[in-house]
Amino acid sequence: MAAEVLRMIPTKETVELDDRQLVEQIRQGDDRAFETLVRRKTSKVYGLCYRVIGNSEDAKDISQLVFLKLWENLEKYDATYAFDTWLYRMVTNVAIDFMRSKQSRDNAVNSNLRLVKTSIDPEQTVTVQRKEVESVFNAVSNVLSPKQKTIFVMSEMEDLRSSEIAKVLGCRESTVRNHLFNARKLMQAQLKRRFPEYARLWEESR
Amino acid sequence: MMTCSYFRANLQPGNADAAMLEHLRHCDACLDFAMNVDPDLFFRSLGGEELVPPGGIDAFVGDVMSQVRVHDAEVAITPRHAVSAWQRWAIAATAIVGITGATIAYRYEHSVPARQNVAQTLLSVPAAKPRPAITATKSFVETYSSHDATIVEMPNDGSDTKVVMIFDDKLPADL
Repeated sequence: MAAEVLRMIPTKETVELDDRQLVEQIRQGDDRAFETLVRRKTSKVYGLCYRVIGNSEDAKDISQLVFLKLWENLEKYDATYAFDTWLYRMVTNVAIDFMRSKQSRDNAVNSNLRLVKTSIDPEQTVTVQRKEVESVFNAVSNVLSPKQKTIFVMSEMEDLRSSEIAKVLGCRESTVRNHLFNARKLMQAQLKRRFPEYARLWEESR
Repeated sequence: MMTCSYFRANLQPGNADAAMLEHLRHCDACLDFAMNVDPDLFFRSLGGEELVPPGGIDAFVGDVMSQVRVHDAEVAITPRHAVSAWQRWAIAATAIVGITGATIAYRYEHSVPARQNVAQTLLSVPAAKPRPAITATKSFVETYSSHDATIVEMPNDGSDTKVVMIFDDKLPADL
């Protein structure tokens, strides 16, 4: 009986604090609360960075930078807003900045590497492989601007609604829908050009 | 978890909800089928996966925490700014006003034509002749004779006045 009562009393280890409570504890100087927050958000932050950047090492560095910025700016967080929205805003800002600088570097150095030829016959029947979808995405999403790509990833892969993306990026919902529309169009065109075997999927079904 | 048969029976273009996407993202067998029904799911199949940074989450968290500690140590040894941000703005504004004012004053003094005219007018007025300064209040010596005196007459430039230097120990002190 006593053991059962004890089991019902929440201890520090069993209580799962929500994000806002963790932030409050960090503000009071609890470093372990920050460690818990980092552990909880790593997959989310790294996943978004990886989808946007397309390179695991760069995504890891950018994710660490995001958490460092989070630590520096935690005092500025307004608890009336969702923590994830605030965190996503930080991730997208850092990732978009990185992409812009990377794009300008790549444009200067590797402009001829964009011409990739596919050896697959367009008429060949294609079995879609998940790993291949990922490499196709990395290849064709290069035509998108950093902002378009971030919006596309948040909408299609992170399943965020347009209104949520607008909050994260601090823009209007119509702007998000515009970017999304243009991103889809550009990627389909790129898919037709570079991966005609997959583009046939669209042509057959429409 | 949704079954493959349920997924295939219910998938229509544009109707993939969260549960269907969840199934699609974890079932390789249904991926090819889904692509043929709704190609827009092509890239959507990539989401939902829990991605782990290279080296694992523990190593990642450890790296972040050590970076945080380094950052805190750097902040601790960096001297804090004695003035706040608005004070810095105020200092900058004062400096700008000062420099601008000094520049305007300098240009006004050197480039305003009106002032040049005034200066030229002032220069054209004949300068008043300076009055001869009264250098001696004592009476002039008309004549002087003494056996012990040495009298030196200065070379004359043609005027009536003669300058004579008298060296005499017996010369009265008030002369």
